[in-house]
Amino acid sequence: MATIKINLQKKLNAASGMLHLDVDMNIEKGQLVTIYGESGAGKTSILRMLAGLMEADSGQILVNEKHWLSSQERICLKPQERRIGFVFQDYALFPNMTVKENLKFALEKGQDKSIVEELIEFMELGDLQNRHPEKLSGGQKQRVALARALVRKPEILLLDEPLSALDAKMRSKLQDYILKVHRKYHLTTLLISHEVGEVIKMADKIFILEDGKISKHGKPIDVFSSKQISGKFQFSGEIVQIEKEEIIFIVTVLIGANFVKIVAEENEISNMKVGDKVIVASKAFNPILRKIN
Amino acid sequence: MNNLRGKIKTIKTHGNISQVKVDLGEVCFCTVIIETPKTASYLKIGNPIQVVFKETEVIIGKGKQEDNSIQNKVEGKIIEMEKGKILSKVIIKTGIGKISSFLTTDSAEILELEIGTQVCAMIQTTEIMLSE
Repeated sequence: MATIKINLQKKLNAASGMLHLDVDMNIEKGQLVTIYGESGAGKTSILRMLAGLMEADSGQILVNEKHWLSSQERICLKPQERRIGFVFQDYALFPNMTVKENLKFALEKGQDKSIVEELIEFMELGDLQNRHPEKLSGGQKQRVALARALVRKPEILLLDEPLSALDAKMRSKLQDYILKVHRKYHLTTLLISHEVGEVIKMADKIFILEDGKISKHGKPIDVFSSKQISGKFQFSGEIVQIEKEEIIFIVTVLIGANFVKIVAEENEISNMKVGDKVIVASKAFNPILRKIN
Repeated sequence: MNNLRGKIKTIKTHGNISQVKVDLGEVCFCTVIIETPKTASYLKIGNPIQVVFKETEVIIGKGKQEDNSIQNKVEGKIIEMEKGKILSKVIIKTGIGKISSFLTTDSAEILELEIGTQVCAMIQTTEIMLSE
């Protein structure tokens, strides 16, 4: 049973001309879903309409059987009436406030303040709580932004490429924080992402958006391996290095936070370069298992 | 990576495992995979399919290759060869297409492999993947 039903139409002025956004998405409660697509495909507009920050031309948003938006019934809840947490790419913290003050500022009138302490502890912000944003690294700022988005205990967390400005190591750490809060607070999370590895690691479901329409959806691994291959030992990742060793090539692929090395033949990799997304596949018959003591 | 095109000839399924025979023309190759016609839509008799296996999984033999457990065998002639200090690569022209193999340079020397040598390329059933 889908708990969030989204059906939205909106004409947008995109860089490439007029874009007609027309999407239909069903999201189950507790899922972490990704919207994946090129820039200008309409990803951010979907999140903004869901948050009530942008008006749809027509459509409906149904959350737990309740209308947040229904153009037919002329219902459109205000942003503050929707239980949503939003994290943007550019932190958006108040520079004149400390970390703790930033979190406190997000409290609703009369809300129990203990959530701020809880989030500071859970997000490991204790040592940073009295610092101002300018004294924080990009990763730390985004951790604060994530904590702040959770102060009002939202049901739905919207993440608009929150990790794209961070380096690979920091990104992987933040991904773990997002997964942690997603599970602890039983959130339904929508994440916009460009990174195949990130999508595979984090998402239960992916929607691929092309020119304002959902072109594919499903489990990330199924959607990305467009050509089905029978290898059961299968991962997707990004090429980080290609080295020639004698007559073979050794290709290093980043899968999640792990590097693997694959022996390849020249023809096999002739159309591949560093940065390309690849599927690494082997048969279930090859790997061995060893128990870690 | 070796990639040969063929058509699915037979499928034998038990539990989650299937044994699939692919008609490649001159010979059939057999593979065992953890898929069934229920889990993989491409598993249909007559379907065009690609047989995929790595160069490192191709065993090379000279002379008659009868008394071994390898089911997939095809004869051919070495048409290209590259020798490194440790590893060597040979390309074999067979009736079902070109097959590349990586082997140690020691093995290549013991077998006295050179361009023009008649060899038999062999691949274990558990090393072959199928792809649409």
